[in-house]
This record gives sequence, C-alpha cells and structure tokens, in this order.
Amino acid sequence: MMWETREQAAYGYVTRQSQDLFFVLSGDGRILEANESARTLTRCRENDTVFSDLVVDFAGTFNLTNLVQARGGPQLLNIKTAAGLPQSYDFYFAQVQNLILAFGRLDAREMVHMQKQLLSLNQELNNLTRRLHKQNSELARLNREKNQFLGMAAHDLRKPIGLILTYCEFLQDEAARDLGTEHQAFLSTIHNRSLFMKHLVDDFLDVSAIEARRFDLDMQPADMPTVLSRSLEINRLQAQKKGVMLQVDIDPCPGPAIIDAEKIEQAVTNLVSNAIDYSREGDTVRIRLCCRQDHLVFSVEDKGPGMSRQEMEKLFTPFGRTRTKKTAGEKSTGLGLLITHKIITAHNGTLHVDSEPDRGTFITVKLPVIKQI
Amino acid sequence: MITEALYQEYLTLLLEGNRRECARIVQQLLDRDIEIKTLYADLFQKSLYEVGRLWEFNRISVAKEHLVTAITEGLLNLVYPRLFDRAVSDSGNDRKVVISCAANEFHQVGGKMVADIFELNGWDSQFLGANTPVDQMLAHIHDEKPDLVGLSVSVYFNMPALKAGLAAIRGNFLHLDIFVGGQAFNWGGTEITRQYSGTAYVPSLDRLTSLIAA
Repeated sequence: MMWETREQAAYGYVTRQSQDLFFVLSGDGRILEANESARTLTRCRENDTVFSDLVVDFAGTFNLTNLVQARGGPQLLNIKTAAGLPQSYDFYFAQVQNLILAFGRLDAREMVHMQKQLLSLNQELNNLTRRLHKQNSELARLNREKNQFLGMAAHDLRKPIGLILTYCEFLQDEAARDLGTEHQAFLSTIHNRSLFMKHLVDDFLDVSAIEARRFDLDMQPADMPTVLSRSLEINRLQAQKKGVMLQVDIDPCPGPAIIDAEKIEQAVTNLVSNAIDYSREGDTVRIRLCCRQDHLVFSVEDKGPGMSRQEMEKLFTPFGRTRTKKTAGEKSTGLGLLITHKIITAHNGTLHVDSEPDRGTFITVKLPVIKQI
Repeated sequence: MITEALYQEYLTLLLEGNRRECARIVQQLLDRDIEIKTLYADLFQKSLYEVGRLWEFNRISVAKEHLVTAITEGLLNLVYPRLFDRAVSDSGNDRKVVISCAANEFHQVGGKMVADIFELNGWDSQFLGANTPVDQMLAHIHDEKPDLVGLSVSVYFNMPALKAGLAAIRGNFLHLDIFVGGQAFNWGGTEITRQYSGTAYVPSLDRLTSLIAA
C-alpha cells in the first residue's frame, strides 16, 4: 500500500491494521473516530457513543479529564467487549488542541502468562478426569465381582438354611411333646433366626440380580385384588402378634392386569410389613387399592414415627435404614425397600413416599395397567 | 471408518473452535462403535498433526493451536468410559508403563493417547502429564517400577529436554526399556535412540499397537 507521507502511513496502520484500540474523542468524551479494532471489539458508533459507556466502572470514579491530565504510566481500564467478556487495556491519553486521543494496548506478557496457566489448569483437569474414569471402571469391576460373590454365597446358603428350617419344623411338630419348655424355646429361637436368615439370603439374591441387571419379570394376567389379599395373609399374622389393626379397602377391578404376581406380592408384603413394624400396639394401618381406567393405585398408611426429608432420601438405597427405630425392635435386612422400589419401577410404576416426623408415613404405588390383548 | 469428507468436516470445525460440533462427530463415531485406535489415529492424531504443521508454517497462531489441542483433549474424555471399561475387562497381563512428556513440553495429548493404547491392550498405564520435571519422573519410576517408560515430544526445540530425560532414566535405571515418539520427530532426531541403549523410536499408533502385541 502506498502513502504520501510517513504520518499518513502510520495513521493508516493505526486506524486499519493495529490490534490496539485507538479513539479520537471530543472534549466531553464523545467518540468522534474509532479505529477498526475498537469498532469491532466494542461495537461503538462514531459520533454517538460516549467513551465512558465503554468502560466498566464499578466504583463510579471514572473521570476522563483526570485521566488526560494524569502524569506517569498507562491507566488500566476495563473495556466492555461485544463478546460480553470485559478486557483490560493499558490506556494512554493525549490532549491535541480540543480533541483527546486515546490509545489502548493489551499487556502481552500478562496474556502469555494467563494462557500458560489456563493451559496447565486444563491439562491437570483432563488428567484428573482420565484418572477418575480409570478408577471408576476399576470400581465398577470390583462391584461386579462383589455382586457375583454375593449371588454365589447367597445361592449356596439357601439350601442349608432351608434344611435347618425343615428339620426344625419337624422337631417342633413331632418332638415338642418330649421337650421341656426351655428346649422348646431353643427350637423356636432356631426357627425364627433361620427364617430371618432365609429372608436375608432371598433379599441378597434379589439385590444381586438387580445390580447385575438380571431382574426379569414373569408378566402374566392376574387379578390384582386377589394378589393383594394373598399378600396380606402373611401381614395379618404379623399385625395380630403386634396388636396392630389392618384396615383394608379394595375396589373391585374390571379385569386382570398383566403383572408379575409373585413379585408384586413381595412388594406389597414388604410395604405393609414395614408399616406394621413402625406402628405401635393399638395403631391402625390403612391399606387401599383403587382400580382406575389405565392404572392401579395401592396405598399404605401408618401412624408411626414418620421420617424427615433427609431420611426419606436414603430410603431406597441398600442398607439405607433410617434412624427411626421399629417400635418393637424388629430386625430387617435393610434391603426390602430397595427391592420393592425395583419391582415397582420394573413394572413401569411409581412409588411415592409422603412422611413427616411424628405424623406417620403414607406410601402410594401407581402401576400402569397392561390389559390382555 | 472415518471418511475423508468426515475428517475434513471435523478439521474445519476444530479450526473454528467449534467444540460442540466436534463432540457431536466424535460421539456419533463412538455410538457406531468405532475402534478406539482408529478414532485416535485417523481423527485425533491426523488432525493434530495437520494443526501442528499449520502452526509450524505460520498459518495459524499459537493461541489457535492451543485451543485445538484443548478441544481435542476434552474430546478424549468422551472416549474414556468405553476405553476403561474395555481395558478393565481385558486386563490381565499385569504389565505397567509410565508415559511422560519431556520437561518444557506442554503438548500432552499425543502422550496421553499412547497411554490409552496401552490401557486398551491390558497394560496399567500411568500418564504423568505435560512438562514433567526430570526428578519427579525419576521418583515416579522408582516408586512404580514399570516394565516400560515412554517419552513424548511434540515440538522439535524440546529435543534437548528429551535427551536430558533419556540420559537421566538410563543413568538411574540401567535395564529399563524406553521408547520415544511424537510429532517433533517429523523434523528429525530419530538417531537419538542410538545414543541410549534399550531405547526405541515408535513412529505411529499403528506401530505402537504392533509392538505391544508382539
């Protein structure tokens, strides 16, 4: 490019090519002229924008006259950019007759330093992410091994526990007459503990299947009121022993639903059993089944100690027992609600818990009805 | 399989700094179950070498080159869940490799991809990162006792730092196998391996894979 004079060449460079900012301002700070770089960066309009509008001025102390009159080094100003991120520039001001010239320059050393720091931080973050992924995969492998072991151990324990239970029941049925009260109590304890172990092993097997994503459902047509009544047979005995009343309200359903009846029975028994465990003698547990057009609603309500929001959050986690104590110190595996939740969600249903400390717990299960084709 | 058209689309987006669209392409390739080594060699390495070449010939700025590298490094994170799942399930050779960048070398993606290829082949790879001081690298090797050490260098003027690293490893661990690689060797320097016994130059990810398998 050819220029008439050196001054013109220098001025041409500053206004068109330079990455520095250059403004020609009127005495009152209006932008009369801005170079290409300043217009692109700030989107200022010549003869319209006031220079102070481009400056980020939190303290409200910006004063152009003071800056122009200031002696010494550059003035650090933060300029609003069209990209939305303010950018710091070292500004030099010069008064030329009744005009003010403003030159803004980036601090290259600071930019290089910042670039290097950002790069290092990004690299460290990425390296940590890599380590995290590697450790996650290792943990997932260990978890799979743990589940395999859990499944195998539970499976192998089931048979001997079943034998102990069976022989214990034989002795209770056939030899109880020959035993003293103390020995009968021993047998009763063996029976109760073995039964608890059987539940524990069954729960471990279920959890092992859930974690290994092998929780298959056997979906068959079933009459939900019948399934519910069958589930409650086990709970009635438990409630009777504890002096808790069961108030059952079952709507007739228009037809069978497609469900895994055995698993739904297990879920219902778990929920009602929990409600009984947390009820006091003389309390009533309310159980209700409503059949709607496209879904079933099953609810269990107790007047037990209830739970806080924090306790509810860990309700469906393995061994996520709340601090709330069962009213008669009943033992549980801590896996029942996790399994129940899995059974319901595997049926594409929902399980909602509403509870407050000292106000009892209300659990609602909503199951979509899949009708027979 | 990465077609030339897809590669060119990715390279254009990468040079534009379009992180999201680059991630979309990589995710689509992962969803199609692309072989990880192919993804690394034919998309990441190829594009980074091209970007490095553009920088070396003053066609793009340092800032753009760094941006491209940072985007690529972020994209590696998309691969990791699959890479480490496979690596863990295929593990079993109990061999360990330490990969490090030369001191002052701030480009670490190449070294990281090398570490990942080792993981895929059942090795436990430990990646020390960019600009690893020699004393820290030696201390790590001493603690971990790897079967192999890899040093990566991307920028040719970091060759003296690589040599210093090789000399320090050889001086402290006489029988430890070492290999070197990286884009810097496109400008020469492969004779370096003759100066240090038990040191090999590995020119590509393909060659690395065959060496691991051998």
